[in-house]
Amino acid sequence: MVGRRLRSLVGLAIQRVAGRFQTAPQRVLLSVLGVGLAVGLMVAVTGVSLGLASQSVVESDDVDYWIVPEQSNAESIAVSTGGLQLGDVHQTSAAIASDDRVDYATPVLLELVPVRDRVTGDRTYVLAVGVVPSPDTTVLGLPAGELTPGDPYYANGSYDGRWTGEAVLNDAAATVTNASQGDQLALAATNESRSFAVANVSAGGARTAGGTVPVMLVHLSELQSLTGGESGDAADQLLVSTNDRSVRSALAGQYPRTTVVTRSGLSAQQVSTSNLPLAIAVAALVAAVVVGVLFVTTLMGLEVSADRRQLGTLAAIGLSTRSRSVLIASETVVVSLAGGVVGIGVGLLGIVGANALAATAVGVDAVAVFDLSLVGYALCVALGIGLVGAVYPVLLSRRTDVLEVLSG
Amino acid sequence: MPDDENSYLAGRYNNDKMTERGGVAETSSTAEPVVEGDDLVREYSRGGGGFFDRSATPTVTALRGVSVAVEPGEVVGIAGPSGSGKSTLLHLLAGLDVPTAGRLTLDGDDVAALSGRQRARLRLRTVGIVFQRFHLLDALSARANAALPLVELGHSKRDRRQRAESLLAAVGLDDRVTHRPGRLSGGEQQRVAIARALATDPSLVVADEPTGELDSETGARVLDLLVDVADDRAVVLASHDQQALDVCDRVLRLRDGALDGGP
Repeated sequence: MVGRRLRSLVGLAIQRVAGRFQTAPQRVLLSVLGVGLAVGLMVAVTGVSLGLASQSVVESDDVDYWIVPEQSNAESIAVSTGGLQLGDVHQTSAAIASDDRVDYATPVLLELVPVRDRVTGDRTYVLAVGVVPSPDTTVLGLPAGELTPGDPYYANGSYDGRWTGEAVLNDAAATVTNASQGDQLALAATNESRSFAVANVSAGGARTAGGTVPVMLVHLSELQSLTGGESGDAADQLLVSTNDRSVRSALAGQYPRTTVVTRSGLSAQQVSTSNLPLAIAVAALVAAVVVGVLFVTTLMGLEVSADRRQLGTLAAIGLSTRSRSVLIASETVVVSLAGGVVGIGVGLLGIVGANALAATAVGVDAVAVFDLSLVGYALCVALGIGLVGAVYPVLLSRRTDVLEVLSG
Repeated sequence: MPDDENSYLAGRYNNDKMTERGGVAETSSTAEPVVEGDDLVREYSRGGGGFFDRSATPTVTALRGVSVAVEPGEVVGIAGPSGSGKSTLLHLLAGLDVPTAGRLTLDGDDVAALSGRQRARLRLRTVGIVFQRFHLLDALSARANAALPLVELGHSKRDRRQRAESLLAAVGLDDRVTHRPGRLSGGEQQRVAIARALATDPSLVVADEPTGELDSETGARVLDLLVDVADDRAVVLASHDQQALDVCDRVLRLRDGALDGGP
């Protein structure tokens, strides 16, 4: 009977809130809009932080796992070039690749490299991605198979093998350097006279929160020699392609203090390894909860004050204090959840707007991401806002003096 | 389920104690009173002075030694000028308030000995209240308003709907069940309030100025309804309205918190 009474009270709360939308909608609408805006802001900002976090590792269509340093900074590819690195990567990737379950494995070194614009001669930067290429593999959407397989210049760690000077550019890199297939791309470093021959220009490339990054795919050892990474044979990540889930445990033991990240969507690890997006999301959550609770508490408190006569009536006809408290709490939660639903729509609009603005203003395609999990997240936050926001209206309703109300 | 709509207006008391209405009541002495007050006193504090005021808190005595007993089937009126204690006595009889002194039993329970929660439960099961200003919940339909007390009793939604619709039909509002109070006339709202008061089949119905907001014709209809209700239950109504007092079996006249002419 208690369960049925609880359900009945919740149903009554829904009826009362729905009825108020038709009889006296101002306060309820304000409450819903207040929570809606707070939750919407949170959804939009969290969408931006998801956009940042989801670009924290290099993606490749065939890659199933990434081994990344545990404390790697993952705001974006460009920023992560200065993070912690893995050592002895040629040897380790070869060892991983020797596993029958693994299709291929390659280290990835990310470095910003200055190059000369072929037309103006101006210095510009591209993101050089050093890999150990193998046929039929793509990294960042670029065909690594266009490069000479293996890493000839590495020469078992002596770094005196054949210098291929090959590079695959993405469209963005080709645009900023005015280079096309077959052209020579000169490095702009003052003490460096080497250049790269453009083996291919591809439509692929890394899409980050900052837009499509100009990317130049080169051999790992050649990039290491240009940037001083040959000492320690350093790289930022290891990409491993496999169809066998059991590989993961083996990968986890390859390096101390590293993390194996899966490809499937936005993994928790990606979020947890990202400090800035996480901080942004938490700040948005706190702001949404505070603003939402203040809105709901204030307006539902006013609603209870205006509703004292009806609450007095409920008390007079025999509804217990507990039942009236449940009723008020349910009404607050219902209003808050309605705000949550509005907030999801507002947040979605915010994400679309932010992306459109970014595309127009700075030519970036997507700074924010709308993930379906945001829907559940927003509703959970709205529920929390409702529960916390219900405390004051409930306390207020418990102070209703039946005789005072009915005699007034 | 009762056989006809009017059976909802009849309470659980089947002893036909009342033999005549209007004027002086003829009641059987064998019936146990539904509500009985003995030497009831109700004082209210008027609020003290400041924090440093050590003088005794002044009090106002609203009722001074009133004794009353209402049996099933009786319609008892409470009359008197404003400030005479009508509402105070009505609130006591309804279990909304407790006496400062004296003994009050409602359906056999000593009201003063009950906690607030127990009194609420007692009111829910035993008392139906009709207010002067109806006090319906604006956001709810007539049906939902009439079924409100049943929510607390944990009735299923189906039961509540059936019961409320039957009660509304019994008060002549079967074509208004989905209407909100704002779309009902004053008389219709008061009939919804009566339906709500009867929802739990109480043994006592109290009505505070039930015709105070109604024109005389509508008021007469509401009074007829209340008299019908009293077939098997006790009805106590406080009113200034002579038309209302005329339908009562007997009338208690209060003056300055005491029964006019003594207890």
